[in-house]
Amino acid sequence: MTQADTIFKEFKEHSVAEFFKKNRQMLGYSGKIRSLTTIVHEYVTNALDACEEHGVLPEITVKVEQLGNDHYRVTVTDNGPGIPQSHIGKVFAQMLSGTKFHRFIQQRGQQGIGASGCTMYAQITTGKPIHVITSTGKGKVYEANVMIDVKKNSPLVTDEKEYDGDFTGTTVIGEFKDVQYQQSDKSPGEYVRRTALANPHAKITFIDPNKLKTVYERAVTVLPKKGVAAKPHPKGLEIDDLIEYAHHSKERTIKTFLVNTFDRMSAAKAKEIEELTSIDFQRKPDSISWKDAEEIVDAIKKTQFLAPSTAELRPIGESTIERSFLNVLEPEFHSIRTRKPAVYRGGVPFQVEVGMAYGGKAGRGNENGSTAEILRFANRAPLLFDGGGCAITKAVNSIDWKRYQLRNIETLPLSIFVNICSTYVPYTGAGKQAISDEDEVMKDLGLALMEVARDIKSYVTSERRKYEKHTKKLTLTKYIPEISRAVSELTGAKKEVLEANLLRIVNDKYENGGDEEAEEEAGEEQ
Amino acid sequence: MKREQVMKEIEKIGKEVETEINKGQNPHLEIPVRTLSNIEFDKDKKQLTLGERKSKRSFMNVAHTRKFMQTLMVGSFCHDLLREDLHTSLRDMYYALKRTIPGTKDNTFEEQSESDPCVIDLETMGDFLREEMHLNADVRGRVVGNVVIKDRGDTVNWAKLGSGGWSIPSNVEEIELKTVEADYIFVVEKNAAFERMHEDKFWREQNCILVTSQGQAARGVRRLVNRLSTEHNLPVIIFTDADAYGWYIYSVLKWGSMNLAHVSNRLGTPNAKYVGLTMSDINNYDLHNYTIKATEMDMKRAKELSQYPWFQKPEWQKELELMIKMKKKAELEALSSKGLKFMTKEYLPAKIERKEFLP
Repeated sequence: MTQADTIFKEFKEHSVAEFFKKNRQMLGYSGKIRSLTTIVHEYVTNALDACEEHGVLPEITVKVEQLGNDHYRVTVTDNGPGIPQSHIGKVFAQMLSGTKFHRFIQQRGQQGIGASGCTMYAQITTGKPIHVITSTGKGKVYEANVMIDVKKNSPLVTDEKEYDGDFTGTTVIGEFKDVQYQQSDKSPGEYVRRTALANPHAKITFIDPNKLKTVYERAVTVLPKKGVAAKPHPKGLEIDDLIEYAHHSKERTIKTFLVNTFDRMSAAKAKEIEELTSIDFQRKPDSISWKDAEEIVDAIKKTQFLAPSTAELRPIGESTIERSFLNVLEPEFHSIRTRKPAVYRGGVPFQVEVGMAYGGKAGRGNENGSTAEILRFANRAPLLFDGGGCAITKAVNSIDWKRYQLRNIETLPLSIFVNICSTYVPYTGAGKQAISDEDEVMKDLGLALMEVARDIKSYVTSERRKYEKHTKKLTLTKYIPEISRAVSELTGAKKEVLEANLLRIVNDKYENGGDEEAEEEAGEEQ
Repeated sequence: MKREQVMKEIEKIGKEVETEINKGQNPHLEIPVRTLSNIEFDKDKKQLTLGERKSKRSFMNVAHTRKFMQTLMVGSFCHDLLREDLHTSLRDMYYALKRTIPGTKDNTFEEQSESDPCVIDLETMGDFLREEMHLNADVRGRVVGNVVIKDRGDTVNWAKLGSGGWSIPSNVEEIELKTVEADYIFVVEKNAAFERMHEDKFWREQNCILVTSQGQAARGVRRLVNRLSTEHNLPVIIFTDADAYGWYIYSVLKWGSMNLAHVSNRLGTPNAKYVGLTMSDINNYDLHNYTIKATEMDMKRAKELSQYPWFQKPEWQKELELMIKMKKKAELEALSSKGLKFMTKEYLPAKIERKEFLP
């Protein structure tokens, strides 16, 4: 059973309040720092999804204000379609009511808990409602306070106001306690930075509690493709998945079930599979036994299929990531790969994108210089927590960086960007912060990382050579005055002449090329 | 070598560098290699000598540049000393030359351990002694005996200096040996043994010159023993602890040291003989109760000694084998177990009388 199914089942059995309290950690509300980032994440995600579905280039402002000790106000404004008055309650105060749940489509949010979770958290920690200001652009603005009736899991909308106004979009304002803003790689500020990196079509403004404003300008003006609901691909299909699909199918025969349920499954392919098994494909799909399913899965493994259609996958794309890198990281060098779509487990398509940016603003600066950073994304949404257990971190750590001339990568000004897109991202938990290490995902991650690392390697080694040449020259030059003085005292030669001649010897070697390696002498025999 | 001659030798080094610089070539110094691989044992002269191999220390090799500069700085400093006719110590020189290189955080010399090797480099390059560059080495060692010398205008009689004896300076080049009345030179490693022997009038009774090196022999002691022995044709007898370190003191006094192999002829005394303490003495004088367990370092050092070409003598191989087998060592003081005067009145006179020496 997937994590989402568990949540769904539990939800039916308990009241919302109980559910929320019990599952706080699973939903990302654990620890003061993480809780604040989760809130920003939920609102930003919803804002981006709404804008994209509506077909407008997102323009989002996130403001975090400190009101007291562990007490903050979060305001998120978007230029999305706005929310019809009748839906305000549902969007912000009914768990698992989202339209996204259990649909085979690639979007950032997946489980319909997000915004309602924030409302719940505000309610538990401050007792206050969430304030919403929205307009669908028809000249009317709606304002309301929203709470959750925990017993009924239904919205409580109060203080409704309607007035004239001319804009389209939504602002949500919430007050939260038991949260904390801390400048770190897990802060809302970093969350926004990474969101901007993976969503260069959005303009995002972030105002931190010190009123410091950071604007991430839009780097591309094309919206990502819209997601389309899609069929699972047969490759990677597991026996129990097949049985579950078959038993829920309304098709008359196994053959039509296969053709209509799975992607890239033509009648001819179904026939090929039938011939590899001893099963009569005219039987009803719900008659498939475990043994039959085993045979069919085996046969599928032996059959060639077209790669899963990428229609439903929405990678950011190499050129868009490049624009984004240049916009946000301004690196000296970068390399990006978007791999071909592949499939994991029950035919779920996924696609891996890896980029590395070196130098410039890449990496995380600190008092000791730069350190490398791993920027993890799932469907463009940054993953800031639970890095240790994430397939991306594991894949990065499994690379033998020394082979790519990248020693001590943690000390390099390097940003490693990894986006996994899928119609169903295999998260390790409902907190949606780590991706489970599915074999197929790990393999693709490894390949993409290695390809990109090779590019970085050639850049870094050539840069290093330049740097070494430079430091060698400096080393030689700094000793010239003392050498000249000593020789001058011994021989009476003019110090200035010696200095000039020595400098010329150094410059001849390091500026006019010259075969450096050949001239390099072995160390002294002492 | 005369002062002017040494100055010329140093100037020659500078001139070669200057010529290369002005020709636009990578200037370099050629320094004889001083590792074991380039040290030969001259069987005829019975001395360690330096082989032919030289290493290149060049300006353009970043691994060498700093040392290249340092060697020239030391050369220039000594040249100044000679011109002004001043003397100073290695420590003084280090302080005089240490300064920050403009525009950097680097110093010309960070430690004295950087300037000291440059002195040896120059000695080997120019084939002169540091004393001849007016640099004084460690002052260690004392001497008593029927010898009259002249030192910076003062006449000193080594027989009339009370209990302390004459303290051997680092530079004995200028000392004039006026009268030397002795049958041989006796060098003892330890100061305590020297004092015991002095008190018992050992040197008077034996008519010898009694020297203590106070541990590993400093250059002054070595040069002094060398001069006394060669200029007055005196045999040398050496007395150290029975351990690898003591025996290496003997080795350095006799054959020269690896670091100063280039001047073995002036610092070594190839005719020196070893009187004790030996491993055989432990058996012969029944000193078993007074031995010390050899440490792992002792054993390692003993094994190294047994490999050196100049220790390839049956007598020494036998001693080293015994040491390695017994895993023991013994100090001179072990002889005191037989009575305080046993060493000066019985052990040494008897062994010297019988010429019971190791080669």
